[in-house]
Amino acid sequence: MRDVMKKPVAVIGGGLAGLTAARYLRQQGVPVQLYEAGKKISGLAQSFHDSDGFTYDFGAHFITNRLAAAIGVGHACRDVRYYGETVRLGGRNFSYPFGLMKVPRLTSSGIRTRAANLIKGERPESAADWFRARYGRALADEVAIPLTEAWSGASASELAPSVGDSIPGSIARTLMLKLASRVTGRAVACGYSREMPESAHVWHVYPNDGVSLLCRKLAESIEDAILLESPVEKIIVESGRAVAVRVHGQEHEVSAVVSTAPCNILAKLTSGTDALEALARFRYRPMVFVNMRFRGRGLLPDVVAWTPEKQFPFFRLTEATLSMPWLAPEGKTLITVDIGCAVGDSVWNMSDEELGELCLGHLSEIVKDARTRYMGCRVLRTPIAYPVFLKEYESDRVRFEHSTGVENLYSVGRNGEFAHIFMEDVYWRTLRKMRGLVGELGLRASSTGT
Amino acid sequence: MLVTDKIIEQQFVRDVAAQPLAVAATGDDTAPACDSLSLESVGCCVCDSDEALPVGVGEDFEYRTSRDTFVAMQCEGCGLVYLNPRPSVDEFSRIYPSNYHAFDFSPERYGFVYKVRRRLEARRALQWCRGLKEGGRIIDIGCGDGFHLGLLRDFGHSSWRAEGVDSDARAVEAASRAGLTAHVGSVERLDLPAASYDLALMIQTIEHVADPPAVLRAVLSLLRPGGKLVIVTDNTDSPDFRLFKGRHWGGYHFPRHWNLFNRRSLRALAGKVGFEVESLSTVVSPVNWVYSVRNLLADMRAPAWLVNQFSLEATASLAAATLFDSLHKLAGRGALLRAVLRRPAA
Repeated sequence: MRDVMKKPVAVIGGGLAGLTAARYLRQQGVPVQLYEAGKKISGLAQSFHDSDGFTYDFGAHFITNRLAAAIGVGHACRDVRYYGETVRLGGRNFSYPFGLMKVPRLTSSGIRTRAANLIKGERPESAADWFRARYGRALADEVAIPLTEAWSGASASELAPSVGDSIPGSIARTLMLKLASRVTGRAVACGYSREMPESAHVWHVYPNDGVSLLCRKLAESIEDAILLESPVEKIIVESGRAVAVRVHGQEHEVSAVVSTAPCNILAKLTSGTDALEALARFRYRPMVFVNMRFRGRGLLPDVVAWTPEKQFPFFRLTEATLSMPWLAPEGKTLITVDIGCAVGDSVWNMSDEELGELCLGHLSEIVKDARTRYMGCRVLRTPIAYPVFLKEYESDRVRFEHSTGVENLYSVGRNGEFAHIFMEDVYWRTLRKMRGLVGELGLRASSTGT
Repeated sequence: MLVTDKIIEQQFVRDVAAQPLAVAATGDDTAPACDSLSLESVGCCVCDSDEALPVGVGEDFEYRTSRDTFVAMQCEGCGLVYLNPRPSVDEFSRIYPSNYHAFDFSPERYGFVYKVRRRLEARRALQWCRGLKEGGRIIDIGCGDGFHLGLLRDFGHSSWRAEGVDSDARAVEAASRAGLTAHVGSVERLDLPAASYDLALMIQTIEHVADPPAVLRAVLSLLRPGGKLVIVTDNTDSPDFRLFKGRHWGGYHFPRHWNLFNRRSLRALAGKVGFEVESLSTVVSPVNWVYSVRNLLADMRAPAWLVNQFSLEATASLAAATLFDSLHKLAGRGALLRAVLRRPAA
């Protein structure tokens, strides 16, 4: 037992998931070593500040007051007062979801389909089927399917119906939460929690110094366990158990491994087993985020504007300053433009200026004087923005939800889980998995009989 | 008269008598700028597990002792609601400020409410003492300023010997000034005579302590075989909890109530420590109702005059809430839980 307990658990990655895992294990008295490839912790949970007073987040806006309190940084967070989305169709903006219901074509198609489903009740074969069965053909074909395809880079008929699991719940619930948001003057979280129940008392907050505060707080009590600039080169599995990790060419024995790496990378890192082979096929959608700076505020109709129509090279625009005014200097704003792409394609290879120009050309349809207000852009390219749930590996993905296939190898975090989850989900899910790991280590310790 | 009787029926006890805030509705921008508290992570003290779901998020609505926010977790095993993370014990002097009501539940400050409560709490205390022999020894754990000790002295049998324990020196000093016997410290660490007490009281104390099993074990060892422990605490199987648990429930008393029970979790705790459960029932109290509404109003930045209609000095809201809770008590869901536990006879 003592041997098992003396060897540390190796945690790969110093983002929210890795740090949550490492801190929890330490609290439970389990020795732990965290390996971070980069020069600093935080991973996806980072903010970048420029000299002009703009703040750019790495796509991680959805921190709730519940997550902040659980981590112990509630005192250092500001309330987000408002959040809203619109969908642009035929040159008009419709608030999401209720504004879309005012379009008779979309509503009647939705009602007809729901009624038909009551009789037929067929199981959807693909994401396209799922959307059509759920929303009706008109809303699915005009909004949900084009957005899903732009975001995933795959045809909705090739995507598994489980894509729909990430769409928020009932209309009544949404209405209740939106109403609560209006009454309380807080951006009540609606559709941004998979793991824990939503309620009128859970709303978006933003740490004063940017989202990395969460990670800094988690790291406080485990600083001695964090090794920076230490990429894990190999996870060595023997007889179905992870036994060591290789870092800087040196092997270190471990009692378990907790990885936050994208799971297709995890498959490549792991040697001595074929249990993870299927993961190598899992695909992530690369994305280019063009952060465009403008003079003025309130240029978009709402915080998020979805653009499902094919003429737009982007599918989502976000003016985060409408929710969080502090992200840009007064009188200025930031619009983040999301463009799906493939690594090495023409969009991926465009210079920042070209991307700015591409966006500006199309944005002018929505914001008439965008060009005169434009103050340049900063671009963030990521090869692994979103997991793509292709039907061809759906059964492997479902299996992976339950286990990596290696008993003491855990995969956590947004990329590690290959799931459409948000920061708070990452936190609770990681804790749940680590509870399982502690239990497993304890069982193993007692079964080895010392 | 009816209303008065109902008020008498309820338990104010120490953590309900919070004084009204000078500024009722305090938000982000106006809260005093203080450092955050030092926090620590814990699990369920009954099950020794941390499989739990977050049920509420809130802050110190009453005293604004810090800007920290807190999560109330509910154990999936026994239903215990506990604060996690919670302030470390070193932070006691901050989370119990000098104007904390338990240090000054005085007739000067609480007037009519004090008088009513005193008379009727005395009746209740004497019920707990029923069957207590001549010369019986009583210990009040978490005695605060000695309110119940005073009642036992003034209304109980003259031969009874009552003493108290409280970890707050200010509270014990107040008790001593009133001529009562009280010890500063925690019952686990004080050198008190084992197997010597006939009755122990924990009146709205257990929710404040860091390690309820350790405290109950210590109490068990102080009691004679067959000795009795009466616990009164906030009830999480109550409609006020269900309605307000997301944020504003008065029983959270963020961040001072660390463990909150229902019948199941209290029974499990008693069993874990080795007590027999003689009875588990509920008691009427308006306080969590009144403070839930108060917290809600304060959180919504309602005007101070409105917020102050809901306090321990606001007789009308107390009376209305007492009547309301009486109905729930009839269904076995009063706002407070009362457990009578017994140390097994040899």
